Amino acid sequence: MKAEISWLDDPQTFRVNQLPAHSDHRGYATVAEAQNQQSSLVQSLDGAWEFAFAQDPQHRPVGFYQPDFDRADFDRLAVPGHIELAGYGQIQYINTAYPWEGKHYRRPAYSMGADRPEKGMFSTDPQNTVGAYVKHFTLNSELQGQRVSVEFDGVEQAMYLWLNGHFVGYAEDSFSRSEFDLTPYLQDGDNLLAVEVFKHSTAAFLEDQDMFRFSGIFRSVRLVAKPALHVEDLTIRAGVDDAFKTGDLKVKLQLSAADQLAGTVTASLLTADGTTVWTTESPVAANLDLKTTVDAVHLWQHHDPYLYQLQIELRDPLGQLVEVVPYQVGFRRIELKNKIMQLNGHRLIINGVNRHEWDAHRGRAVTAADMAHDMQVFHDNHINAVRTCHYPDQDAWYHLCDQNGIYMMAENNLETHGTWQKMGAVEPSYNVPGSLPQWQLAVLDRAKSNYEMFKNHPAVLFWSLGNESYAGDDIAAMDKFYHDADPTRLTHYEGVCRNRVYADRISDMESMMYDPPRAIEEYLKNDPDKPFVNCEYMHDMGNSIGGMNSYIDLIDKYPMYQGGFIWDYIDQAFWTKDEVTGQPVLRYGGDFDDRHSDYEFSGDGLLFADRTPKPALQEVDYYYGQHD
Amino acid sequence: MANTTKLNVIYGDVTLGLSGPGFHYIFAYDRGGLESLVRYGKEWLYRTPMPAFWRATTDNDRGNGFSTKSAAWLGADMFSTCTSVDVAVDGQAIPLPIAPENNKYSDHETADSVTITFTYTTPTVPATTVTVAYTVDGSGQMTVTAHYNGAASLPELPVFGLRFVMPTRATGFDYQGLSGETYPDRQAGGKPGTYHVAGLPVTPYMVPQECGMHMQNDWVKVTRATTQNNADPDHQPFSLTFAQADQPFAFSCLPYTPEELENATHMEELPLARRTVLTIYGATRGVGGIDSWGADVEPQYHVAGDADHEVKFVIAGVE
Repeated sequence: MKAEISWLDDPQTFRVNQLPAHSDHRGYATVAEAQNQQSSLVQSLDGAWEFAFAQDPQHRPVGFYQPDFDRADFDRLAVPGHIELAGYGQIQYINTAYPWEGKHYRRPAYSMGADRPEKGMFSTDPQNTVGAYVKHFTLNSELQGQRVSVEFDGVEQAMYLWLNGHFVGYAEDSFSRSEFDLTPYLQDGDNLLAVEVFKHSTAAFLEDQDMFRFSGIFRSVRLVAKPALHVEDLTIRAGVDDAFKTGDLKVKLQLSAADQLAGTVTASLLTADGTTVWTTESPVAANLDLKTTVDAVHLWQHHDPYLYQLQIELRDPLGQLVEVVPYQVGFRRIELKNKIMQLNGHRLIINGVNRHEWDAHRGRAVTAADMAHDMQVFHDNHINAVRTCHYPDQDAWYHLCDQNGIYMMAENNLETHGTWQKMGAVEPSYNVPGSLPQWQLAVLDRAKSNYEMFKNHPAVLFWSLGNESYAGDDIAAMDKFYHDADPTRLTHYEGVCRNRVYADRISDMESMMYDPPRAIEEYLKNDPDKPFVNCEYMHDMGNSIGGMNSYIDLIDKYPMYQGGFIWDYIDQAFWTKDEVTGQPVLRYGGDFDDRHSDYEFSGDGLLFADRTPKPALQEVDYYYGQHD
Repeated sequence: MANTTKLNVIYGDVTLGLSGPGFHYIFAYDRGGLESLVRYGKEWLYRTPMPAFWRATTDNDRGNGFSTKSAAWLGADMFSTCTSVDVAVDGQAIPLPIAPENNKYSDHETADSVTITFTYTTPTVPATTVTVAYTVDGSGQMTVTAHYNGAASLPELPVFGLRFVMPTRATGFDYQGLSGETYPDRQAGGKPGTYHVAGLPVTPYMVPQECGMHMQNDWVKVTRATTQNNADPDHQPFSLTFAQADQPFAFSCLPYTPEELENATHMEELPLARRTVLTIYGATRGVGGIDSWGADVEPQYHVAGDADHEVKFVIAGVE
């Protein structure tokens, strides 16, 4: 297959030769490896890559992925990282309008009619910057002779992949993991992996989040070997009976083999202190359904995030251990009962924040230390919930939320703000995805990627369809996908409040943003259909968070008021060298000559961009502490 | 506090001097306010204290247009002028004691207490007045009452209080009140206690704005170690305490005026910090928080322009 640059222009082409999304489990070669979480089956490709930058597709180094291409003038660029922060391409912050505002007149493909495909919009865009990345690698011995795939945890915004000169695949969706099978093109010794990253494609219309607009390989990249027997996918359903006493565990396995499916699979469930409470052995099969019950089950919740350990072991016909897959399991039940969301039989109170991934040095390429810091801030300030605004976060964050009892509203990567709201007014004349069939598969794919990757995390209570994208058939289809795929969780979407026609088909909860307390009270007083959640409230721009009691008071007055997520967790600003004094200073939107911009609107956090707390945090600590 | 010491009164031609052991105050008729507050040889004033009406625009203020609606108070904060001065000795009003009225006095006049009241007229339309009355006793204790006279059709105020600009930058301050930065609508999380704040921190909001407010204080003690007096080689710390008179007050203690903060779009644009700006507030608007593009601060946290506002506090005398 040949890579086509026209894919950038086509909303119906968003994944080519990508492996199907699956759970975020990790395979290990031995039990000891699993215990240490150091898999010899994984080879990191993070670090310095060769890199060339082009201002537009016309000036990109065509054919750079060929082994004999002359790359002598290539620079070095750190992966993960943003191209713009390395000095290529202008940094820009903009909120709702599209980043090309005032520079290009654009309407999304097919939004003005089925005969309007808008060919060439991005493939010939003179401002669509391109990053050409090259990485040489030699397989570690543990990966040699195995099936090997490559995982990209985040590439913004569209990427083409080659190995040793062969085209491998294409991906969009900046914030979901993209995985490709490299096996057919691997060679002994040196291998040449090449990635061409375009800043914009039709995905740009779906990724209009209120954030700095970046491009590049901004999350980790790794090679992953699949042993002779391999767990391709793992689905864990850990519920509890109506008495909240007996755990109900269902494990669905999808296995693959290098040659033939033969051998045994052992599944065990261990308590947190290592006591085995269940173990079972079966012959391997492409699909296996295992289940058990756990008496006197220790439930998972915020203050007691108890996790069992599921361990899957695959053995070949000789009894040799081939792959170990561990996964932490939290038993809990989230449900709507009498129009109130309950966790383990108790009314759920959300003391939440919206959290963009942010680091004042690294942008959205956040580190493990950033995440650990954030988790400590949550712990210290009675924050019990997080909305992954407005895209999936790094995988490690979900595990941290499992381990720390943080309830997650897991949002997929979708925001089309600029297609339906202009100058503050609802104006959906060219909204995408809307009800356009040409855009539906792309957004469904985003929903599926989010679901498949994070479906096993007990912390995830809600699937969120995206942010501020209006409502139509396509978002209704996303809601249906989540419900069909996962009857154990609830869906969330705020945008349906802008188009009530879809009220019955979208979102299990009534979600609003920035409604004043009195308006929320009006809703609650009138026998509403759905419980109420503020998906964004208490806009903490600058010196703010006044009057929080007016929201918190609703908790005790109205059982159907279930709290909310403060906007937001951390300011988006960068450490930059002051051009006058040479001192490090924090800069925000508009400070990079970026126009059109929304300037200081990038700073709405409870924390300053350098992670020091704003004074208002003590108020949040106080009020969230009242219902913790 | 019982006080038997007499206050020395110096009936100058352009000022009224009041002194006793360890203190000397000068009220200037020509400068329209308290010009000098010296305790133990240390000057505490850079310019006369003036009524405070403005706060540096918060992001929420900008979003809901409050700064536009209340812009007259920025002018009032910068350009109000003293339009009359009244003096009372031992509770009795006297004619303004300038020549020739003061020719009858000597160089050894005393009193139990003296009250001097400055009236400031705002450049707002309509204009209104603020009176600032200082009552000093023989211990040097100064009771200060600043009173805003509400007037119909004046816009809501950002704040009302009295602003002291001190000649050098404080090393820090101590106060008894609530922890952290608090506002009328954001003080539930503030824990009562006695706190020390080192330096004069400016909360580093991305766009410098109103910050550093402390609600519900019994007292605040500002400590400095430097003066502008060329003949004062001593760099030992020295302090001045402002205490509540009949109810707790709010204050902020920053190295900048609201106008300096207002003018900066980034922290690095603020001037070098070289003074101490202590403002004691009788009223301050809440910060709000519903959104930053239109939602108003909740009604109970507004400061009405047509109602009176007052702040009363005591500057400690010498012991």
